[in-house]
Amino acid sequence: MTVTELRLNVVSDATLLTLADTCLLWGHRLSEWCGHGPALEEDIALTNTALDVIGQARALLQLAAARRGDGATEDTLAYFREPDAFLNVMLAALPNGDYACTVARSFLLSAWFVPVWASLAQSADRPLAALAAEAVKESRMQLRHASDWVIRFGDGSDESRRRIDAAFAGLLPYCDELLGTPVDGTDQAARTLAWRATVQATFDTATLTQPISVVYDANLLNITASESRVTLLAEMQSLARQHPGAVW
Amino acid sequence: MYTQALDTAINANTTTVTVDSFQKTFLERIARDEKIEPQDAMPEAYRKTLVRQISQHAHSEIVGMLPEGGWITRAPSLKRKEILLAKVQDEGGHGLYLYSAAETLGVTRESLVDALHSGKAKYSSIFNYPTESWADIGIIGWLVDGAAIMNQVPLCRCSYGPYARAMIRICKEESFHQRQGFDIVRSLCEGTPAQKALAQDSVNRWWWPTLMMFGPHDSDSPNTEQATDWGIKRISNDDLRQKFVDVTVPQAKFLGLTLPDTAIAWNAERGHYDFGKIDWDEFWRVVKGDGPCNAERVADRVTAFDDGRWVREADAAHAAKVALRNAQVTATV
Amino acid sequence: MSTPLAEAATPLFEVFVRSKQGLDHKHVGSLHASDARHALTLARDVYTRRQEGVSIWVVPSNAITASDPALKSDNFDPMASKVYRHPTFYDIPDEIGHM
Ligand SMILES: [Fe+2]
Ligand SMILES: [Fe+2]
Repeated sequence: MTVTELRLNVVSDATLLTLADTCLLWGHRLSEWCGHGPALEEDIALTNTALDVIGQARALLQLAAARRGDGATEDTLAYFREPDAFLNVMLAALPNGDYACTVARSFLLSAWFVPVWASLAQSADRPLAALAAEAVKESRMQLRHASDWVIRFGDGSDESRRRIDAAFAGLLPYCDELLGTPVDGTDQAARTLAWRATVQATFDTATLTQPISVVYDANLLNITASESRVTLLAEMQSLARQHPGAVW
Repeated sequence: MYTQALDTAINANTTTVTVDSFQKTFLERIARDEKIEPQDAMPEAYRKTLVRQISQHAHSEIVGMLPEGGWITRAPSLKRKEILLAKVQDEGGHGLYLYSAAETLGVTRESLVDALHSGKAKYSSIFNYPTESWADIGIIGWLVDGAAIMNQVPLCRCSYGPYARAMIRICKEESFHQRQGFDIVRSLCEGTPAQKALAQDSVNRWWWPTLMMFGPHDSDSPNTEQATDWGIKRISNDDLRQKFVDVTVPQAKFLGLTLPDTAIAWNAERGHYDFGKIDWDEFWRVVKGDGPCNAERVADRVTAFDDGRWVREADAAHAAKVALRNAQVTATV
Repeated sequence: MSTPLAEAATPLFEVFVRSKQGLDHKHVGSLHASDARHALTLARDVYTRRQEGVSIWVVPSNAITASDPALKSDNFDPMASKVYRHPTFYDIPDEIGHM
């Protein structure tokens, strides 16, 4: 087999970074909850999600770094790229908001990740397929955890209903970009159908009535999401950048 | 509560024995290393002491999540971020195990948490110090978790079964905490001069507060004897502190760090390291609420609790709806 | 500040974990949860963070009926005299070997 043929069997750097950066920024947001969750049990449960997602980000960045072969490491990619170079979906970077927003974001993202990982698990890119086969289990647990809360909030108290409605009203506009995000070697149309079915089924159980598809101002979303990313990365990268070249 | 004794019979023994002989029998059971379990008769003072100690311990775990938690978002590598997140999460788990153990003594977690929030309950004074640099995360793991483990290992043999079992679980999990801390400090000490300086600055700030974690001198601990008789305390404050100094001095030397105490010297006669005098005024100031971060820590906990109230209420409301629907389904079948 | 009115307590569940196939479920502790389904998912996060188990049971704490510790002697001491239930009670000649 020639080198070119070998390369045919691997997904692009952009796909790896799209997945990695999404996991990294989302995991970072989840980790902000640690020690401040709404109940002790839930604090521990949510941190498990954060650990899952950050673990996925690390594995993907390691793969991307190794394939770049220019001395890159998971940490140079995470800590020394400029915000504009990150390829995350917009949803991942947004601030946590209240617990309804946190749960709604996790729900929308994990409903997308489950079909993504499931099809990547069949990928000819063997290292990625192995990683995806593990990640899909974690995503299914995250989806279950998040959709349980969506249902509790939708079909819970008046206040929780108001909050989860507001959370989805704020986040659903970002989902067009999520669904339109290309992932090499996967079927975007099939994934969108699966995502819609999952979201609608949970909305029905939660008695949520708002439409999944909404009109939005793409420009405004872009500005909000990129500002959130700049703030997030400024904090995340601050210490590492004060000590360039240091080993931790 | 673990269990509810529904078939409680009228206890012929306790109605006839005097309080004195009950106390005596109880102390004899403990002296025989018998474990006391939730439903067993126990002196009220024993129960109260345990509730206080276990809940203080639980609060310490929960409040202890905060100083380190503040650095999760700034951890300088992804590996460190993951480790720190898992470590802080573990502390939450420890708080949970301990609240559960306290609840077997007939108190609710709600009432214990309320005592923390109102300032009535105490927690370990060490968590009222600020985490100023990343090195503090390493030093806390190495020294503070190290000191905590030294305090906690003897509690695995505590006379109260649920507390002892919780401590066994906790100590198993703690062992990685100290190691990850040491590992951070080591990487700093073997790193750039700036990193090394961070580590030295951090050990300068944390060394004395860590020694204070073992509590007042034995001579100033009036409750030690009672706690020892009850099998709640197995080793005295001063003995544990000495043990900690003895193992830590060589570790600091290995790392190339100077402990901020010129009195530290090997005493061949005693077979221990001598060390300097602790500033007990500072200790009492911090315990009584006047440390650098007391107000901030409690406020943090109260905010998280208050912000979470609607979540807990929604959870309960949904569970009630589901239970009602299930009952209606059953009724119509 | 927190409100002076205490919240209604979230129900307490006892958690039992089977550490591996073939072994009994063992009591590991308790947790608070709104209902059994929720308790089960939380138990996974709280009590099996280090792969401690392959199966979890949760039981509402107030569903457990326990024997009275005051009756410990009455309940269990009488069994001490039934030594003939134990194999060590019987002498087996050396020539017979293992039985
Ligand atoms: Fe701990
Ligand atoms: Fe710890």
